[in-house]
Amino acid sequence: MSSLRRRSKRARLGVDVWGALHLVGALVKYLSVAFILPFGVALGYGEPAWPFLAAAAITAAGGQGLEFFTKGKHSIGAREGFLVVSLTWLFGALFMSLPYLFVEPQLRNPFDAYFEAMSGMTTTGSSMLTDIPALSHSIAIWRQFTAWLGGMGIIVLALAVLPRLRVGGRQLMESEAPGPELEPLATSIRDTARRLWLLYVGLTILMIFVLSMIAWTGLDSRMSFYEAVAHAFSTMPTAGFSTRARSIEEFGAASQWAIAAFMIIAGMNFALLYFALVRGHLRKALRDEELRLYMALLGVATLLIFIDLSAEGIEAGATAFRHAAFQTASVMTTTGLASTDFNLWTPLTALVLVLLMFIGGSAGSTAGAIKVVRILLTARIMRRELDHTVHREAVLPIRLNGRVIDERTLRAVSVFVLLYLVAFALGALILVIDGARGAVDVSPFEAISAAATTLGNVGPGFGFLGPMGSFEPFSNFSTVVMTMLMWMGRLELLPIVVLLTRSYWRA
Amino acid sequence: MRIFVIGAGQVGSTVVEALHHEHELTLIDLDADRLSTLSYKFDIGTIEGNGASRRTLRDAGIDQADLLIAATSRDEVNIVSSMFAKKLSPETKTIVRTTNVEYLDLWQERELDVDFVISSEVETAHAVSRIIGVPAARQTDVFADGQVQMVEFDVPAAADATVVGVPLREAVIPADSKVASIIRGDRMIVPRGDESILAGDRIIVIGSPDAAREWSRLMVSGDRVLDDVVVVGGGQTGVAIARLLIDQGIKVRVIEAFGPRAREVAEELPEARVFHATGTDPEFLEREKIGTARAAVFAMPQDAKNLYAAALAKMHGVPFTIGIVHDPLSADVFEQAGVDVAVNPRSVTAEEIVRFTHDPRIRQLAMLEGDRFEVLDITVRDESPLCGRPFKELPMTGSLIGAIVRDGAAIFPHGEDELRPGDRAIIFAESSRLQQVERAL
Repeated sequence: MSSLRRRSKRARLGVDVWGALHLVGALVKYLSVAFILPFGVALGYGEPAWPFLAAAAITAAGGQGLEFFTKGKHSIGAREGFLVVSLTWLFGALFMSLPYLFVEPQLRNPFDAYFEAMSGMTTTGSSMLTDIPALSHSIAIWRQFTAWLGGMGIIVLALAVLPRLRVGGRQLMESEAPGPELEPLATSIRDTARRLWLLYVGLTILMIFVLSMIAWTGLDSRMSFYEAVAHAFSTMPTAGFSTRARSIEEFGAASQWAIAAFMIIAGMNFALLYFALVRGHLRKALRDEELRLYMALLGVATLLIFIDLSAEGIEAGATAFRHAAFQTASVMTTTGLASTDFNLWTPLTALVLVLLMFIGGSAGSTAGAIKVVRILLTARIMRRELDHTVHREAVLPIRLNGRVIDERTLRAVSVFVLLYLVAFALGALILVIDGARGAVDVSPFEAISAAATTLGNVGPGFGFLGPMGSFEPFSNFSTVVMTMLMWMGRLELLPIVVLLTRSYWRA
Repeated sequence: MRIFVIGAGQVGSTVVEALHHEHELTLIDLDADRLSTLSYKFDIGTIEGNGASRRTLRDAGIDQADLLIAATSRDEVNIVSSMFAKKLSPETKTIVRTTNVEYLDLWQERELDVDFVISSEVETAHAVSRIIGVPAARQTDVFADGQVQMVEFDVPAAADATVVGVPLREAVIPADSKVASIIRGDRMIVPRGDESILAGDRIIVIGSPDAAREWSRLMVSGDRVLDDVVVVGGGQTGVAIARLLIDQGIKVRVIEAFGPRAREVAEELPEARVFHATGTDPEFLEREKIGTARAAVFAMPQDAKNLYAAALAKMHGVPFTIGIVHDPLSADVFEQAGVDVAVNPRSVTAEEIVRFTHDPRIRQLAMLEGDRFEVLDITVRDESPLCGRPFKELPMTGSLIGAIVRDGAAIFPHGEDELRPGDRAIIFAESSRLQQVERAL
């Protein structure tokens, strides 16, 4: 009887919801494997390990259950892909928040725990915690690890390592991978996913090694192997969680420079990094227009902030330059680590940093926000429109690296930029209204920075939610709104916004 | 020679027309009507069949052929038939006509087993660019991938006085160039140091492209260097022309009436400015200030449209117009109607094919001034008695070495340079001396 009703319902829908849920279950159940790491850490440090076991069991059971109850013949096409990706991230964050709920007193509030898990997975790095050093090692490393998993994408990971998913996966990967176009590194999606993840793992290991060497050679006495791992886990995915109360400020200059360098690498297109580092096409990679603009923007912003800091006498000389470079890299790559509290800097630097929050890193990187390539293409679209007003008949294809970009992609880029700004505006509006209504005083600038930082997956904002602050004062409603913003930002809006249209669901 | 021609279309029949007097021709085509039309016109053998079929080629006796000219409109058919011909009869030389520049590139990289690849479009473009790059030139030729140019000028009264009217040893001759010959009336004058160029002479100059441009500047009164050219018609010919002009550093605007094609052209030619418009819309011409262009090339498929558009462009102030004509009869109409130059792709292609049918050791053979002078592009044999001797000691009776190409680079030799085995020498010689020069090298 129930199966009959289900079928009749499906007939009216254009989307195989049950099929999508089935696949979501299949993907989510494998997340239980991720809990092995914090479990091991907990055993190693003699901390309670049961939360991770319990979370693993619940995740496995939840995924398996979802898969079981939606059994049947399914056809997963491009359309279902949007739903699969969106739901996988929603459910994934839910299961990942379990250990916080079980043992972390600061995250007893389920909204806060969910926010923290989503913040990790989406590599945002905003935190509800007010006392980070109070975290146990296992919870702290779990928090860093959620970010690392989300960095290159859990679906990309699933495509890379899981047995065949019964779907091609291109649609899933395109929805999850940041940037307007998926750049294939191999003929099959599976091999592309594998290569991306291998590169990601390789760079993470390299970073752990570099930070460990800094600790071992005594360049920075506060760095240790544990901190190296924890910060590599949050730098490579451009997440920005730290195990320290005052983020990277607690480390020495050598560590700060190393982390800044790896943030910049993490903000580059991984496909480009693959071609440059693995295939040896370094010269070609250096000519990439997006990379050049990315480096140029980093340079200009660093210089601006450096001059401002020096002129205002906040910092001087090499220190000023280091902090300028670190904060620019951190905010532009949407990492969100801080080598100093940039909240205390001038309005000019605040403005520069807010603008960088919107630009973000390169397409195909682990960074969030609009992405440099979209900024570049939008600028070219604008220039073309201006040109067109004078020369009506001129045919002006838009190129990137000498290759013509088709009009469909260009439209998608313009729409994305517009959608991004709309999502930001609405998010900021809701946060301001909710702030005015609630007990906590949220200034408009704070609310705007909160919307920008969560949608862009950056992490810290300005005011009480600054790099050394916490998102804890926000109401539960605002927390939910920001959680959704992070989710939408990470999946680049489209897979989620399309679910809100009628034509998506109609047959 | 026994020559097989595949394809009785425009190019095929033009080649047949040019070669049927001297050679034994066999024409292969799928269309019996075309074949019979041509077989009544010319004394040739015809075979109805597929030129890309191995059996057809074998049955036709390809092993007896000295040369195969694959001139159908389909590149792949031409390449396949050339491949089969080479397999069946390795001695047979092959010429392939192609419309795809990529095949031309492949051939130049020696990736195609074909002796000679000719593209009508590219040949036409070369013809146009010669006319545009060196506007006063009567006839020009390029050697060694364009590194060496042979240019013929009618010396106008307004030519620059640093070279005209003064003895050659005092004249300021552009670097990397040589005056190969001075023709005054019926006389050909060997350009020695005490001779001078006079207005009304015709001079032949050999030199680098830069030098050729410099010469054309000297020949043209005032600074009339062409830098802004409009190409009307974005077909393959138009694109080939535009590309070549862009390569010469000329600013090019392309006008194409068919939207999707305009888009393709814009994608293909990033440096060109492409318009989706017709070249016959006066409002458009006015708005885009087409009249400011220094020259316009009309490369649309219909001759009548080209003529009309050219006339309109003249009205809008374009000083120099070149029309691409497809019907050989149109050329006269064009020039009568005020189009400055008419270029026929078919005759350009045929010229190129005919050129190849000469001694294969002579890669390019240009005929200037009827049969009085010839330019040889010849590779110096190892046993040549002239090797290793400085140029000033070489016996130079009635001939002149204009340039040599060594390891792919052009050298414009001076008295102290020597000739080495393997050099490609571009030699300017009187027809009567031709045999002598060939034997010596």
